[in-house]
Amino acid sequence: MNKSILQIIRFIALVLFQVLVINHIRLGGYVHPYIYLIFIMLLPFSIPKWQLLVLGFVLGLTIDLFTGTPGLHAGATTLMAFCRPSIISLVSGTLKFDNIQEPNLSQLDGVWFFRYTLCMVLVHHFALFLLESFSFRLFGQVMLRILLSVPISIFLIMMILYIFKTDKKRE
Amino acid sequence: MYNLRRFILKHHFVILFILLEVISVLLLARSQNFHRNRMVNSTNDAVGKIYEWSSEVGNYFRLNSANKQLAEENAMLRKQLSIVYDTAAHIYDIDRGDTLYEYIPAQVVNNSTNQTNNYIIINKGAVDGIKRDMSVISSDGIVGVVTDVSRHYASIMSLLHSKSVVGVRIKESQELASLKWETNNYRYGMVEDIPTHIILKQGDTILTSSHSYIFPEDLMVGTVEEFYPTAIDALNKAKIRFATDFATLRHVYVIKDLYKPEIDSLKAKFKKDE
Repeated sequence: MNKSILQIIRFIALVLFQVLVINHIRLGGYVHPYIYLIFIMLLPFSIPKWQLLVLGFVLGLTIDLFTGTPGLHAGATTLMAFCRPSIISLVSGTLKFDNIQEPNLSQLDGVWFFRYTLCMVLVHHFALFLLESFSFRLFGQVMLRILLSVPISIFLIMMILYIFKTDKKRE
Repeated sequence: MYNLRRFILKHHFVILFILLEVISVLLLARSQNFHRNRMVNSTNDAVGKIYEWSSEVGNYFRLNSANKQLAEENAMLRKQLSIVYDTAAHIYDIDRGDTLYEYIPAQVVNNSTNQTNNYIIINKGAVDGIKRDMSVISSDGIVGVVTDVSRHYASIMSLLHSKSVVGVRIKESQELASLKWETNNYRYGMVEDIPTHIILKQGDTILTSSHSYIFPEDLMVGTVEEFYPTAIDALNKAKIRFATDFATLRHVYVIKDLYKPEIDSLKAKFKKDE
């Protein structure tokens, strides 16, 4: 399948899954998992940096359209896209991606992926919940939200990635 | 000029990042003031349609409870109507249609309760006569205020919003107070600015006041769950349980105040005189 068509399908599927399913899960007032960032995580390593930013912004803005919070997810996802190159080099260390085109679980091990997911989710959730409260007034509450949401998001993202991985092998 | 171009090309990643972040924060800052978010139309027909499709699936599973709720409401309205007929039928001509409010029934197509700022999307819009600042109620109690309208859909700022403030009245003592939402629980709200001499107990009823200008008077808001007396000279607070169950909200009514244009023009006149 054409690479860009795959990306578009992934974009639409993740946005719909986020706004129609995940956003309706009620796990108490503090837990807000976000899985749509998988789209940014799985973009090819060689993608031009400016495209990364624009895609992050567009993805966030699409989520914002559904949740009625203009700029909130856009800001957080753009920051995450901005940090992605640094995060990749941080978690990889001396690891080289000679014949690996994009982050995937078939070619990269689970530990690498877990560290990658952890960093990306942390950056995204910190930015998101701080922007949401728009102040440091409720700092304790915001911290609690981050502390409780990050593990759930990571769990969901890893789960989705593992399901996706088995699909890939079958192809 | 050449240097500038080289600078931009060299740092395009950081420059674009800052630009996009500035746009995001500006959009967000604008939406914080809910009366000024006209520019960013958070409701749009495409988004409404997608939410409607997905809610239609769920609606089949809730038909039973929705029927029951509507039947109960019907029974209660019949009871009220009989009282009105008994006492007022010979004084007023009820069928004259001289009402203060019109009720537009609508269905919730999307609703959230777990965000800091929660919005509800309903399947009625400008075509059905919905306008900004109209109040929205359910059969149990008040729900929120219309903040944005597209052709076929409208978004409502629910009571579960960090910027939501509603003028309320304590039924027993007729004292005024204001209702906010600061807890993280969709079941409870906080009534603030209760005069010091008022002591509330669990189960006391809170209604809307005529001072809110948004909701009609005497609508059910909720019941007191816990009273927090504060130090001397400070105003008291009380935690209340919302009469509306936001988690299962399906059918709502948008209230059209037929005299609102008149009140608004009077208010505008006051402003001019000042």
